[in-house]
Amino acid sequence: MTLVFLLLIPLLAALIVLTCKRPRRAVRVAMSAGALEVAAIANAVWRVRAAGMLECGRYLRADGLTAFFLLSVGVILALVLVYSIGYLRHIPAGRFSSPRWFYSLTFVFVFTIMAVYLSANLGMLWICVESTTLASALLVGFYNTKGAVEAGWKYLVVCTVGIAFALFGTIALYLAAFKSGVNPESALDWAALMNAASSLGANRDLIKLSFVFVAVGYGTKIGFVPMHSWLPDAHAEAPTPISALLSAVLLNCAMYALLRFDAITSHAIGSEFSHTLLLIFGGLSVTVAALLMVVQRDLKRLLAYSSIEHMGIVAIGVGIGGPVGLFGALLHTFNHSVAKSLMFFTAGNVRESYDTLRMRRIHGMARSMPWTSAGLVVSSLAIVGMPPFGLFISEFMILTAAFSASRYLIAILLMVSLSIVFGALLHHFQPMLAGKRVSVPAKLKLLPTDFAVMGACAALLVVFGVRIPDAFAYLLQRALVVLQ
Amino acid sequence: MGLIELAAAKALASSAVFLFVTLLMMAAAKRISTCIVLFSAQSAIMAAEILAVGYANKSIESYAVAALVIVVKVVGIPYLLFRIVRNLKASQDVASSTTGAQSVFIMAVLILLSFFAVAPYARTLQLDEAMLAAAIALLLAGAFLMVSRKKALMQVIGLLVLENGILLSALTTTFGMPLVIEIGIFFDLLMGVFLMGLFVFRIRDTFEHLDVSKLRRLRG
Repeated sequence: MTLVFLLLIPLLAALIVLTCKRPRRAVRVAMSAGALEVAAIANAVWRVRAAGMLECGRYLRADGLTAFFLLSVGVILALVLVYSIGYLRHIPAGRFSSPRWFYSLTFVFVFTIMAVYLSANLGMLWICVESTTLASALLVGFYNTKGAVEAGWKYLVVCTVGIAFALFGTIALYLAAFKSGVNPESALDWAALMNAASSLGANRDLIKLSFVFVAVGYGTKIGFVPMHSWLPDAHAEAPTPISALLSAVLLNCAMYALLRFDAITSHAIGSEFSHTLLLIFGGLSVTVAALLMVVQRDLKRLLAYSSIEHMGIVAIGVGIGGPVGLFGALLHTFNHSVAKSLMFFTAGNVRESYDTLRMRRIHGMARSMPWTSAGLVVSSLAIVGMPPFGLFISEFMILTAAFSASRYLIAILLMVSLSIVFGALLHHFQPMLAGKRVSVPAKLKLLPTDFAVMGACAALLVVFGVRIPDAFAYLLQRALVVLQ
Repeated sequence: MGLIELAAAKALASSAVFLFVTLLMMAAAKRISTCIVLFSAQSAIMAAEILAVGYANKSIESYAVAALVIVVKVVGIPYLLFRIVRNLKASQDVASSTTGAQSVFIMAVLILLSFFAVAPYARTLQLDEAMLAAAIALLLAGAFLMVSRKKALMQVIGLLVLENGILLSALTTTFGMPLVIEIGIFFDLLMGVFLMGLFVFRIRDTFEHLDVSKLRRLRG
């Protein structure tokens, strides 16, 4: 039942919030539903932590890995919903762009994300990942401007095609399981596949074929480099809370799907093949994204490319493998989510007061909006991996794992890319922050909620940079057990 | 072997050819509505195939899947697409970037290629080579239609053809996935087409054309 609640709450919330004609009521309903959902997530995570695994029927299951990712969704969801209170004051009322539509679609999106994490079946996992695209496409095109419509269309088409390849890969894995005598009814169940992994190895070629297609398919959704074209557009054109959700929750969600396949493939035919593929995708993403960050002109596009880079880092961590590499990679997904949310929140504030995201037109931020600037400075220091923030720890772990596995090439590539990113952010943000207070239409007055959200992000980043809380580390260990 | 079994086996054996014919005609088609009809016909062939497989294996699930294909792909989605075409009141031209002859030639090459691609797998897994090749050909043809036709609706049709290829590959290799999964996939597909239809209208309203090759504001 615990798991059913996780799905039921956002679904009901999406329906109820739609009936609220008055914006203020819609916000109130959304906040209470969000609080309920976060509480349900906390409850589920707690129970998984105690029991190891929760099941509900044949199609819902949560284990250590699920619990870890659920926790990260819970944190980001709470932050994003609270931030949206301040953000939504600026949405102009329209037929399909009113707060109630915004929240309704957001909760449908949350529902699909929850469904991805709770699926016990790889076929259902695919269906749910595809639904996340469908649910969020309307949110990406929410403002109905030329840019938003183009981004929404591109997102819908590119991701649907990409995901179609993942379905092909899933079928190939199903065929392999089918051929090695797994009962067809459970031949898509990831727990059953993990148990039967050793016999799957007989169909080596099929498993390889399957993983290549799955990596390309879910990789499109993660934003790995040759397939990333939708990502900057969607992140830049979506309303800012949605950009944060896309970057901090959706990308992790697709990464989770890939991790499940990676675990099965590694168990069946050894980790060599799948991890090499992940290292290639990761290395490509990190380098190309770092170089493209130098030439960006739009603040949110810059952040989107940074997300591609960080997903590349996670892929490298998984690709290097071993307890340290995997621990670093999982920790990095969480740290990146928090830091990137904070960055998007500050970007949203910048947009509200300057009416533009062109970085060249923004000057004197530090003087005219000190708190937002502080948020931007903290988050950019965190995102480039400076101590004492969490991302330093996780990146350091991944690098340590790379060196101790004698993967010097990828380690050097990673370090060079990180330096380029550092330079790029300095190059872009220094002129924005410095300078005299220009004639800024300083209409943005931060609400207490904005301060709370930005403060919470910064606090989380520092806490995870100084010492990972024991309970969290334990949960991470649980997640690692599932993957190894 | 009874007469019906024989007919079913024959239908299964020759349906790959029918699928290739629909693909070649799609490549030659100049109007969007022709492509929609061809897609419907292609799905009907697949439905017949699923029925044949179901009959051969005595599986009730296959009948359910065939019914789904008929409801969703033979009738539902084409109806939806026709409605969109009618309400758009725009030109019906597919706006191909290759000439008709070139398209047919490329499609023929793709079909040949898919035979080469599946040959090793068909041998080791003891599967029907023509059907597997048809599945891969549908995949490639869908991708080809998506990149060579400029109209937004043609991209939707290309995607549907690609999706048909995946369904066929599942069908020929494993006699289809579990029913619950199939239903979910169909639901996703229907929602996807619905949403893409919505976006087609939005593109028309904000850009006043439907040529996706001109959607190039977002770069870099």
